[in-house]
Amino acid sequence: MKGVSTQKKSTGYQRVVLKNSAPVLENESTRLSAVEFKQFIITGLKILYGEVGAALTFDVLKYDEDSRTAFLRVPSRGLVKLWSSLTLLGSYQDQACAFRILQVSPFLLALTGNSRELQLD
Amino acid sequence: MSVDVCEAPHCQLVCENSSFLDEENSLVSLVQQLHFNYKVSLLIPDCSSAPSHLDSVINSFSSFVLIKNMPVSEFIDKDFLETAVYPGSVCALSYRTRIGEDNCVALMPNGRLRLSLDRHSYHLLGIEGKVSKFRSKGRHIVSVDLTDSSMAPGGRGYDRLLSGLTCRLPLTSDFLLSHQQGVQSCLKSLLSRYDWSELRPEVSTKVLHQLTCPSDLGSCDAYSVMDWLGAVDAGISSSSIGSSSSFLSTYTCPGPQRMATTALSISVSGFLLPHHVQILIMEVRQFLEQSSSPWASLTVHGFTDNVVSCCENEHGRLRGGVNFYTLLMSKGHDYKLLIVTGSHDSCSP
Repeated sequence: MKGVSTQKKSTGYQRVVLKNSAPVLENESTRLSAVEFKQFIITGLKILYGEVGAALTFDVLKYDEDSRTAFLRVPSRGLVKLWSSLTLLGSYQDQACAFRILQVSPFLLALTGNSRELQLD
Repeated sequence: MSVDVCEAPHCQLVCENSSFLDEENSLVSLVQQLHFNYKVSLLIPDCSSAPSHLDSVINSFSSFVLIKNMPVSEFIDKDFLETAVYPGSVCALSYRTRIGEDNCVALMPNGRLRLSLDRHSYHLLGIEGKVSKFRSKGRHIVSVDLTDSSMAPGGRGYDRLLSGLTCRLPLTSDFLLSHQQGVQSCLKSLLSRYDWSELRPEVSTKVLHQLTCPSDLGSCDAYSVMDWLGAVDAGISSSSIGSSSSFLSTYTCPGPQRMATTALSISVSGFLLPHHVQILIMEVRQFLEQSSSPWASLTVHGFTDNVVSCCENEHGRLRGGVNFYTLLMSKGHDYKLLIVTGSHDSCSP
């Protein structure tokens, strides 16, 4: 028996997963724990969007303290708020910093197979 | 075309429940039509070590070659046509070129040469092509069948393409190239002219302990399954999963759940061909029949910057370039196939 179905995500609820690097900091020796990292992002949301923005739920699925790379998960309705607040977050504890979004996808599985990470030379 | 920044990247998900015994199942054609694969990830629960025959199959995947700064005109060199293109045993893809931004080139085993060019390059080349479906103003797709009689050396079509690639648009790029009979032995004259290196697919094997997994994968919805497989593949630790009250993450394994004492996770990345995937599927099916593992999942990722998707349709990338499929195999002959393509793909199952 063969069944085929095609689904397009409705605009109701959709998870979007971001793979981004944590702040590129002026002082490279500064270390952030996963909790500090999430709090930093919440602060950024609050600065840009106020208390309502800071209430946006997002998950830090994985955080690597050494490379300062993280997987974030956010409902699709919150993608623009989260992405824009990451873009505009410019300082951490009086140090200049910048976030760089590496990849965005509705599927976490898509983030584990990015051929642009293939380094052969 | 403007980008709607208010919307998350769109994707298309196709789910198919079928059987390996069904002659009309689309799995075989899907595997064969995706010529350029970047990564294959395998997950087998309740398995503590890779069986020897599976290991040997993975390690026998043929090597591929990275050629630096090779002119695209080499693909229509007479010697290359005779030894590689006409027998249908070679495929190549431009390396480190970004689809939608740079000029990208792909040579498929059936002898089709596909170029994705910006407007200026397209006009310089002087070969008839089509406007890109996804970026109508700045991109054109040129597709040439090198096995066609009009493209035989000396013919008008051949001469026009040769003059285009050598005089008007002397495109060069780094290429990933693979030959079924072995690149070094069959393409000696080509390799002697350029800087090249032979590479083998990179294999990573991990044994996961105390893995929280869905007790019945078939009963979970496709999105939950793929999220969970992605979490395992990304190495998201068990402490991050299954803890809905955690400050950091509320992600949980789709339920009902069970604890797998061990699970085997293998990933192979490089320049992988369809027959590699086919062999791997056969081996995993055989292993499932003999082992206690209830299921196995195989995810195949295509190259983000590929010029073609399945059925030789155009592939593009706006913000995603998503291009993968997951095969969930259970004991017996049934399987579930999940195909995901991005908004800039016209892949049809």
